[in-house]
Parts: sequence; structure tokens; C-alpha cells
Amino acid sequence: MSPAAIIVALGSFVLGALLALLMIPVLVWLERRVAGLIQDRLGPNRTNIAGFRLGGVVQSFADVIKLVLKEEYYPAHIKTGRWLLMLSPVITFAAALLAFMVIPFADTLYIGGEALRVQPLPVDFGVLWYLGVGAVGVVGIFFGGWLSHNKYALLGSVRAGSMMVSYELPLGLSVVALILTYNTIDFNAMVQWQSGTVLGFLPAWGILVQPLAAVILIITLFAETNRAPFSVAEGESEIVAGFFTEYTAMKFAMYFMGEYVAMNTASAVVITMLFGGYQLPWVGTASMLTHFDYYAWGYMVVLPLIVFGVIRWMRKNNRVRPTVSTDGGRGFETKVLTGALIIMTLLIEGALLWVTLLPEGTAAVATAVALLQIAVFVTKLMAFNLFFILVRWTLPRFRFDQVQYLGWYYLLPLALFNLFVTALVVTGGA
Amino acid sequence: MPRNVKVVPRHGRETKDRFYLPAIYEGIKITFRHFFDNVNDITAVDALEYPEEQPGDITERYRGLHRLTHRPDGSVACVACFMCATACPANCIFIEATERTDGVDEKMPQRFAIDTLECVFCGYCVEACPCDAIRMDTGIFSLTGRNREDFVLEKERLLSFRGAFGEEDSRAGK
Repeated sequence: MSPAAIIVALGSFVLGALLALLMIPVLVWLERRVAGLIQDRLGPNRTNIAGFRLGGVVQSFADVIKLVLKEEYYPAHIKTGRWLLMLSPVITFAAALLAFMVIPFADTLYIGGEALRVQPLPVDFGVLWYLGVGAVGVVGIFFGGWLSHNKYALLGSVRAGSMMVSYELPLGLSVVALILTYNTIDFNAMVQWQSGTVLGFLPAWGILVQPLAAVILIITLFAETNRAPFSVAEGESEIVAGFFTEYTAMKFAMYFMGEYVAMNTASAVVITMLFGGYQLPWVGTASMLTHFDYYAWGYMVVLPLIVFGVIRWMRKNNRVRPTVSTDGGRGFETKVLTGALIIMTLLIEGALLWVTLLPEGTAAVATAVALLQIAVFVTKLMAFNLFFILVRWTLPRFRFDQVQYLGWYYLLPLALFNLFVTALVVTGGA
Repeated sequence: MPRNVKVVPRHGRETKDRFYLPAIYEGIKITFRHFFDNVNDITAVDALEYPEEQPGDITERYRGLHRLTHRPDGSVACVACFMCATACPANCIFIEATERTDGVDEKMPQRFAIDTLECVFCGYCVEACPCDAIRMDTGIFSLTGRNREDFVLEKERLLSFRGAFGEEDSRAGK
């Protein structure tokens, strides 16, 4: 292995871990703030370190400290299988985390003639890995609910099971339709397929090529992540808290974080399979590599505009009302963050300028393209996570018989029909 | 079907609602609009930034923390008749009576304490009091403390609270 290969492998692994793990506090914060703003209130925004609130993100880290230091309460009636009870949140968490690790963050990097995958686990059977490992998550929910020896927890896990049997089939069938369309089970190849166009002008994204499969996939992934409107396994109004009733402190937090990692993973899968992954619309990797100068110039124009907008927004919004007497360091925070943003922008601009001066085809240009694609990927990932959150605060929860009805009576026939049509089109009716 | 049954029209049967996805789109449009309106100007979100901002819309009918009233001459109005303690469904009023030392009446409370951790703020004590000695018109809606004893309000503390809505003034015709 060349040094470049080791750096890329390590870099993509670290990036994957960061995108999955650091996204948890950000998503928790984002969900609470977005929920607040949707409901015309503010959400957590007070916690700060020396006046630095960062909009309230610090709250999530304070929560982590609280959960780690909190007393672990143990139901005394559980005599056997304690280790499995301890393990089940870890199963859910690890399954969601591992499933995320096959998402490509950028196209295959060619450095010195060597093909390097920017994928934490560089495998070419990503879809199968996701379906296999992602489905293990519900096992943790089963074990947790069953071993708690608590009727509410048991009901919660039974409901999770009922939901899973109604959703795994449409999920699998819609994915099979997509596999038929792209003719691959490699996530990276799927993204490359989507860099073309359909009908001459639309980007060949999965959602436009396979609209029915796309809708089914998104709906079933909502169920797979156990999130609203399909959060039947946890219902405060009916079954206390569902499968994690008996879990406290960090064991509960593992389930909680597992949900957010699963949501992040589902978002990544959706954008990889349906929304062109790390690709900008209409732009393939080859064109980016040959005309990187133009993209770099475009980016150098767009980036300061975005940063200018962010700074303006921050100056307008990161202050206290006149009725609140104390500033609490928000003015100082705004100044420091403005400076940091400007310095960061200048650094990125300088790096881009340097890359444009290099001859094309060098490793630096290829790396810059990969970094640009990673930026696009993260933007899309955040956008879809936001969509997940918006849906949660828009839709009421389904009853679990309604979930089964939807799964078996509507989605399964639709997915079969879609698979049938796809197969006919792909084989040309032969 | 009996005649007096009112048949409420059942919504959600139209094709658009049954198809569900258009309805989701409509809903997301609303949540999205709220979200972006508020993100655009967070300082304009109509939320009270408690505790820096205090509520200014507490009505006179609000049952705040209890207080003990004074007579016009400044003495304690309570005559330790135990009516409030008897009426209290939570048994949170503790009274020890003693002979009146200020010469105004026959009896007065030596100790008068309300355990606000037990209190359900039903207002029965105010209803029961024949002397208008206990009221819940302080407008105090938040009581904080570091231990349980802080929440047991003793006589001195109850006497120190002022009425928030100027009821004395209106009664005196001022």
C-alpha cells in the first residue's frame, strides 16, 4: 500500500466516524431547535462555555456529561441475561453506525494510477451490507424490550417487530428495483450512474428515474429508523416509553443516539440511492477533474457570498432582546465567530487558488475534487436530516395496525408492481 | 339510529386525503413556513425569555403563593381558628395557636406554616377563612429552594408577602 492509499483510507474512516458520531449532538440540538422554531418557541439556547453558545449546541455536550455521570438504575427483578440487557442498546447503536460505514463520501480517487475508494469500509457490495447490518438494529430493540421483564417494554418491542415485518419487504423490493435500474449493488457505482441525465435535461437521480421506488424507500426508511410518523415502538401516551422503559442513563442514551445515527444513516442511503450522493446535478466526476478551474472559480465566488449571508444572519439574530438586560457575551461571540468564519473562508479561497494554478491531472486536483464532493455530500446529508425532522413535527403518529395495513396493503403491491415494470423496462420486454 | 344523535361529517375521505402524500406536502409546507419565518428573525419569536423577562399578564384571578393578611392596624388578621387547615385536602397547613399577645383579639397563631410541596393550590383555605386572613393574590408563580425545608413557608414569610393586585386599595375605596 502506498502512503496515499493509507492516508485516504484513514481519512475516510475518520470522516465516516465523525460524520456519524459528531452528528449525534448536532442532530439532537438541531431537532430541538427546529422543533422549537416550528412551534414558534426557541428551544435550548442558553448553555454556554465562556459566553460561547454556538446557538445552543453546547447543550448537547452538557447532556452527554449528565448522562455519563448519572446513576445507572437496574431493575432488580432481572436475574438472568443481564449482560444481554446491557448489550442490546449497543447492538442497536453499532448496527446503525456500521451501516453508515459503506456510504461513499466522494468518487474513487485516482492517485498515482491507484484507485482509492473514499468509503470508510471500502467494499463494493454496499447495498447488501446496509440491508444486512441495518436490519440487525431491531434485534437490539427486541432484546431490550423482552429482557426488561416489563409489559410496556415487551409491548414496545412487539410493536417494533410488527412494524418490521410490515416494512422489510417493501424496503427490500424497492431496493431491488433500484438495483435493477442501476445494474449494481455498489453504492459508488449507483452514484456514478446518477451523474448522467434523463430526457436530456433532468439529472438522472433515482427519485426522477424511479419515483415510485423512491417514495416507497423513503417511507420504509422512516419506519426502519423507528422515527415519527412510524415511531410505534415508543409511545409515551400508550406504553410509557416502549422498549427502553427500564433503561437509564447511558444505556438509554445508547438507544437514543442509535436513533439519531440510524436517521443519519437512512439520510445517507436516501441521498446516495435517490439524490445523486456526492454529485452535483448535471456534473460528473470526469468533467470536474478536467474543468476543475471553472468549478474552483465558481466555488470561490459562491463561498464568500454564503459566508457573508451567514455572518449577516448571525449579526441580526445572535443578540438578545432589549427587554433582556444581560447580553451574556453574545456580542463577543458574534465578533469571534465572524473573525473565525472570515479566516476560514480566506484559507479555503487560498487553497482553491493554489489548486487552480496547478496543472490538471495532479493528485492535488483529484483531492480537491474529492473534498468538494464531500462538501456536497455533507450539505445534502444535512438537508435530508432536516427533512426527517420536519416530517416528525408535521405528521401525527400511526397506530401500529395502520402501519401494518399501509405496509401490506399498499406498499408491498406497489413495490411488486414497480419491480415488475422495472424488470420489463430493463430487459426490454424480452 | 336514535334521533338525537348528531352525525359529525368524517373528514379525510376525499381522494386527496386518502392518497396521503399531498396532505403530507401541505403539512410540510406549513411547518417549513413557520421554521423559515422564525429562523429569519429569531429575536421576533414570541417566546418569553424567562427568567430575564417576567410574565406581565398574570390576572387577578391567578392563584399565586399564599400570604397572610394584616388588619388595618397592622396586626395579624389570623385568629388561629383552624378552618383553613380543616378545609385543606392536602393537609399541608400547620397551625399552633396561642393566646393573643397584641391585645387585639383572643387567639392568634404561634406557628402558621404551609408546606408548598404538599399544597395543591386549590384555594379551599382562602374560601374557608372567616377573617380574610389567608389569600392567594401574591402573583408569585415560582418558588425555588435548595432543600425541602425551603418550601415550607413559615408565618413570618407568609406575612411578608404583599398582595400583587391592589385588592386592599379597591376594598378601601381608594
